[in-house]
Amino acid sequence: MTPAASASIVIDRVSLRRGSRLVFADLSVSFCERRVGLLGDNGAGKSSFLRLINGLLLPDSGEVRVDGLVTAQARRDLPRKVGFVFQNPDHQIVFPTVLEEIAFGFRECGLRRDDANDRARDVLRRFGCYDWIDAAVHELSEGQKQRLCILAIVSMEPDILVLDEPFSSLDLPTRLDLMDLLMSLPQRLVIASHELELLSLMDRVIWLSGGAIVGDGAADQIISSYRETARNARKHTAVAQ
Amino acid sequence: MISGHLAHRTWLHAVPARLKLIGLAALTCISFWIDDPRLLGLGFAIVLVNYLCLGREARGRLKLLSSLVPIFAVIGLFQFWSVGGEAAAAILLRLCLMILLADLVSMTTPMLDMMDAIEPLLRPLSIFGLDAMRLSVAVALVIRFVPALMEEWMRRNEAWRARTGRRASVRLLPAFLGGVVTLADRVAEALDARGFGRGRKL
Repeated sequence: MTPAASASIVIDRVSLRRGSRLVFADLSVSFCERRVGLLGDNGAGKSSFLRLINGLLLPDSGEVRVDGLVTAQARRDLPRKVGFVFQNPDHQIVFPTVLEEIAFGFRECGLRRDDANDRARDVLRRFGCYDWIDAAVHELSEGQKQRLCILAIVSMEPDILVLDEPFSSLDLPTRLDLMDLLMSLPQRLVIASHELELLSLMDRVIWLSGGAIVGDGAADQIISSYRETARNARKHTAVAQ
Repeated sequence: MISGHLAHRTWLHAVPARLKLIGLAALTCISFWIDDPRLLGLGFAIVLVNYLCLGREARGRLKLLSSLVPIFAVIGLFQFWSVGGEAAAAILLRLCLMILLADLVSMTTPMLDMMDAIEPLLRPLSIFGLDAMRLSVAVALVIRFVPALMEEWMRRNEAWRARTGRRASVRLLPAFLGGVVTLADRVAEALDARGFGRGRKL
């Protein structure tokens, strides 16, 4: 295996059907950049794209390879390699207290309770959230909950962090705060977002539309074409009306 | 009901989960032996004092009982009619006592401790092919999502009232249940993404 192949995400002639809808037909793309953004309208296939990388969805045909692992054959090992942060923290948080939520990942890896709790405390200390240790999850703000979700996943030290619209329903200060957190992490990032400011920090942006790639390249360039297209689409709608 | 975890530490947090569960089971059994409403009333008073000593948040949870008043009224009236006033009072006091005791345990026990305590009890089920760890996570999920579902119902109820000015209708039920199924789906996906059930090792 070449070094390039070992640190890359390859979507190879993938077709994917979800229910009666064909999401991807023969989609191919590969990337090895440190931070990759996914851009596109609602329903463009961004979430499905991310789910292919973590093995939450398996292609109907074709192959997805993450650092050389074929997702269809390595579902068991993928969560360690690819951490997934969801849009809504309430769907991800399983436990009523902060410490337990972080410790759960370590328990799942076979650590005993005390060791898992120690590791969880370390994580909270390292990320400046030690004050929350005994906090009940329902008492946290939305931003704090999303931060907890990110920490719960990052604590397992995956190589790649995949985030599905992580900032929707958060206020601007919280978005900026979480952006700083994400950019400070050592993990490679793949982020689907409508937040153009966040996407502008990515090394590469892939633009999806109707399950196909319509733009792929440097963040500024792709974002400005996306903006332009969205504006034109609005003009056409206005004229049609 | 068994939802909120008490954030600040109390003396009950320091008691091992297993001991608390055994204590709860023992006190529940004992309460069935006692028919004298005065003795049960004394027990109820002791538990109430405990709530008062655990701080404002714990005191606030006593409101839970008020939401159960209609149920108590039905049970009380039925018992009064069938077995008389004293027995009805004993039954109601026993019920309140058990609810408050169970709530004391759940709000002062972290979920992972609770799971550890429950897991050995579930282990015999492995002969039927059931995994104790999975079952205890299932129990944890129920406890975690009871308040979330209650909130969801309140939100739908509020939206309904805002549009119609009327009280909640059974017509809200299908959409609510649809929402519950979607929520279950999302949570399952999040657990899957974290490797739960994929047999991952560190």
